[in-house]
Amino acid sequence: MATFGVLAEFKSPADLYRACERVRDAGYTRWDAHSPFPVHGLEGAMGMKRSKLPWIILVMALGGAATGFLLQTWVHSMAYPLTISGKPHFAWPAYVPITFELGVLGGALAAVFGMFGLNQLPRHHHPLFESARFARFSDDAFFISIEAVDPMFDAAAASKLLHGAGASHVEIVEDLP
Amino acid sequence: MSHDSSRPALRREDVTIPAGHVLTRLPWIGAGVGAVGLVTAFVLRPGDPKQFAFSWLFAFLFFLSLALGALYFVLIHFATQAGWGIVVRRLAENTMAILPLFAVLFIPLLLGMGELFPWVQGIAEGKNHVLSGKAPYLNTSFFVIRAVVYFTCWSAIAMYFFRRSRGQDSSAAHAISVGLRRLSGPAVIVLALTQTFAAVDWIMSLDPYWYSTIFGVYWFAGSFVSFFALMTLMVVRLRRAGFLTKIVGLDHFHDLGKLLFAFTVFWAYIGFSQYFLIWYGNIPEETIFFRHRLEGSWTAVSLLLAAGHFIIPFFFFMPRTIKRKPGLLALGASWMLAMHAVDLYWLIMPVMHPHGVAVTLLDVAAFLAVGGLFFGALSWMMLGSPLVPVGDPRLPESLSFENV
Amino acid sequence: MAPIDENDRYDPVAGRPTLILGGHDFHAITEAVARPVEGKTPLAWWFCFLPSVALLGLLGVAVSWLFWEGIGVWGLNVPVGWAWDITNFVFWVGIGHAGTLISAILFLFRQKWRTSINRSAEAMTIFAVMCALIFPGIHVGRVWVAYFMFPIPNQMGMWPNFRSPLLWDVFAVSIYGSVSALFWYVGLIPDLATMRDRANTVLRQRVYGFFALGWRGSNRHWQHYEVAYLTLAGLATPLVLSVHSIVSMDFAVSQIPGWHTTIFPPYFVAGAIFSGFAMVITLMVICRSAFGLSDIITLRHFDYMAKIILVTGTMVGYAYGMEFFIAWYSGSPYELFTFTNRAMGPYAWAYWTMISCNVISPQVFWFKKARTSIPILFVMSIFVNIGMWFERFVIIVTSLHRDFLPSAWSYFRPTVWDVSCLLGSFGLFFTMFCLFVRFLPIVATAEVKTVLPQADPHAHPLPERTPVGDRLAEEGAH
Repeated sequence: MATFGVLAEFKSPADLYRACERVRDAGYTRWDAHSPFPVHGLEGAMGMKRSKLPWIILVMALGGAATGFLLQTWVHSMAYPLTISGKPHFAWPAYVPITFELGVLGGALAAVFGMFGLNQLPRHHHPLFESARFARFSDDAFFISIEAVDPMFDAAAASKLLHGAGASHVEIVEDLP
Repeated sequence: MSHDSSRPALRREDVTIPAGHVLTRLPWIGAGVGAVGLVTAFVLRPGDPKQFAFSWLFAFLFFLSLALGALYFVLIHFATQAGWGIVVRRLAENTMAILPLFAVLFIPLLLGMGELFPWVQGIAEGKNHVLSGKAPYLNTSFFVIRAVVYFTCWSAIAMYFFRRSRGQDSSAAHAISVGLRRLSGPAVIVLALTQTFAAVDWIMSLDPYWYSTIFGVYWFAGSFVSFFALMTLMVVRLRRAGFLTKIVGLDHFHDLGKLLFAFTVFWAYIGFSQYFLIWYGNIPEETIFFRHRLEGSWTAVSLLLAAGHFIIPFFFFMPRTIKRKPGLLALGASWMLAMHAVDLYWLIMPVMHPHGVAVTLLDVAAFLAVGGLFFGALSWMMLGSPLVPVGDPRLPESLSFENV
Repeated sequence: MAPIDENDRYDPVAGRPTLILGGHDFHAITEAVARPVEGKTPLAWWFCFLPSVALLGLLGVAVSWLFWEGIGVWGLNVPVGWAWDITNFVFWVGIGHAGTLISAILFLFRQKWRTSINRSAEAMTIFAVMCALIFPGIHVGRVWVAYFMFPIPNQMGMWPNFRSPLLWDVFAVSIYGSVSALFWYVGLIPDLATMRDRANTVLRQRVYGFFALGWRGSNRHWQHYEVAYLTLAGLATPLVLSVHSIVSMDFAVSQIPGWHTTIFPPYFVAGAIFSGFAMVITLMVICRSAFGLSDIITLRHFDYMAKIILVTGTMVGYAYGMEFFIAWYSGSPYELFTFTNRAMGPYAWAYWTMISCNVISPQVFWFKKARTSIPILFVMSIFVNIGMWFERFVIIVTSLHRDFLPSAWSYFRPTVWDVSCLLGSFGLFFTMFCLFVRFLPIVATAEVKTVLPQADPHAHPLPERTPVGDRLAEEGAH
């Protein structure tokens, strides 16, 4: 079976943080850190770029708001205009609540489903789940995985680097068949 | 300053303005500008006492709202035990310590009461039954008594907190922090009530037939935003002069930016609530307020207020990058102060100039008078103590503050 | 990891008293929260669940009878066209707001203490919104054309009246429910992964696993996750403010005295948070002892919650005062009559219940002893909710029963069906909450772990305690 990569376990967030800096500095690009909770500052330690999600959210929020405003304007000024409580047909102040709410909905849906999309979730099958020790990532253990598809990858060199960075356990993980 | 060497140490040069520094001239500059404004305003007063009263009211309320915003900030800071803001709290304390001066600056308004408030004359004549109904509240003596109460409360609270905080610089007594925290709760309540009724007395009663239950909150919202704007400008200016450089960092600016954003939205929320509910109910007694502000060139001012006090700052203060650039934040802060002036002008002046905007020399003179004195007093306060509450036991937490 | 002294309430890393007591490490937190969910159903749970289901059944009966016979089974009359139905609606929406405040607003203010209670509070929000949405749904009369409320193209070319606050409610409350559910679910994902990885039966592993979406704690995922979480918090905050403002506009855009007043939006929001936190306290007092979580949901958490109740209660009191003053100041005889009628008319009993529960009793929370006493907290939280139900009742019914025209004055009395719908809604709420605590972790374990001192990657070994920090901790200076 092909190798998926190397998985190293660490005992604390501090250990994980320092190890990530080493892996980043060594020049790896296809690798990841795993923790039961987000470790503060780890994006910097991993050399990650800022997420693009805020832009997606902004566009969808504005889109939602625009949809709401245009729908109401069209309904009350063009589709079936009615004079209600003596106000003009284009009663824009009264359109504000729904416009705002739809903007928020657009933003929220973008945040959640955009996040799922960018994370490529759901993905129920992943080589790392085959590792018995990995199950503790959701409890109190911290991991780094370096994938075999990384251009620099060499199982022995990666293991050595991770041991040197303070890993308490290193294992090779096989890919899914 | 602290026992733990891993915490950043505070250097004297960072927080004290030495004698002879160019900033020490500020009180004189302020006093000078103030004097020029005062003389001009009083010279012009006999020619148009009504305009004088209105211009003075506008200038007075603009600068008072900054001082009250500062007082709110300090009290809320103590009540919530906020950590990040300790490094900027002394600047707020200096601003609120000017409140006693406003008692003196109020005198021209007392003298001009008859020009400002239609109910003074209206109740004296006794012919208007609506105004007579309000006479138990809107009468000259009670008005004066209330003003005395407001200034007494504000000065007492401000000076107490100011003195205790300064005292803590040398004693570093943590009992002071505990005591101020305990007092801040009741103090905020007193402040909220007095400030609400001050808004009713000095702004809302300019048109005694009109009323709005949210009016006090509206003035509070505008005051709070403009105080944060003032504080941002103070911090940026001091840093440019070489002080507070290692003390106030990008993370603090980020927080100031977030607060500017949040309270801009809050102001818009309150302002829109007021407008919207009155628009929807369409009751002439209430809508007249907005009718007056859509007359002639006031329409342009109303639109400017909506666009400039809300829409533009909303998008300006949103991006993270802007909140972390002090220069841009200062630009936004100056804009917000200008918008707050527009807001107050829009609240006050249509009563005197119903057909359109009419900026006069008296407006400028009064603004320079009150503003110069405010600025002079503020700088003088700033020179009198370290720029940061050096004795605060939680100062290290603020110094090492990091934003997300 | 260096062990933390059990008695150490001074957190050397953050410089603040420790939030989570007992010196727990990450695994202990996981165990404390997950174990109750995995074990056998405790007897006490059945004692809560079965009566709740019974009340839920009552709701089903009451609503069915309402649909069959019509709105006449309630005590409504002319002019009191709204009474318990809309009171219940506003009551439940208000309760829901505290959950979002805890999740979203306290997150934006970096209040770490929220992590012990936000999961339950958010669940409370979702269930409260479910209860709330029932009432506008069932009170319309012709339920079979409820789809008229939505902008669905139809053969009549007719559209809903978007200019009506009743329709803003439809959008606002349903969007609020959806966004809250999304926010709650997103927060659950890492904990569902924990439950999946600990599952001792295949069924549990499959079900938790399905909803955990294959989460593997990847930091690249955490990055997007945190952006989504922060944005949801940033969106939920104005959502909370706008939703209850829109609900208040059901009344404020009218013209009747007592309803048409500009302070309603922020006043209602403050009231919502007030009642919501009271409900959170009620639920947390029960959960923390039932599940043995007093190290995670500590007296300090209750202290903070009680303070928020005090602050928002004071804001509500301010609004009462302003309304009354302006009613007099306005010079309108109708306005003044409305307020004197509230205090001294036929509904004075409701008004004074409201004042004593909302304004007078929360004053006890000025005292730290009261804020940290479980019996007082529990009793007070119930009083506050009673007071807030009465506040909505007073606002709605006193303004309707006597407005401009004395010949149209009347009195409203509830029927057994009004009462059944209210009790039944509590049945729905507690049934859902019981199911929640039985099957899902009631504390956001991943988030609680982040507030432990060991979670900080830059944690240095404990420095020497400084005397100042010690005294602050002993003083209980918070």
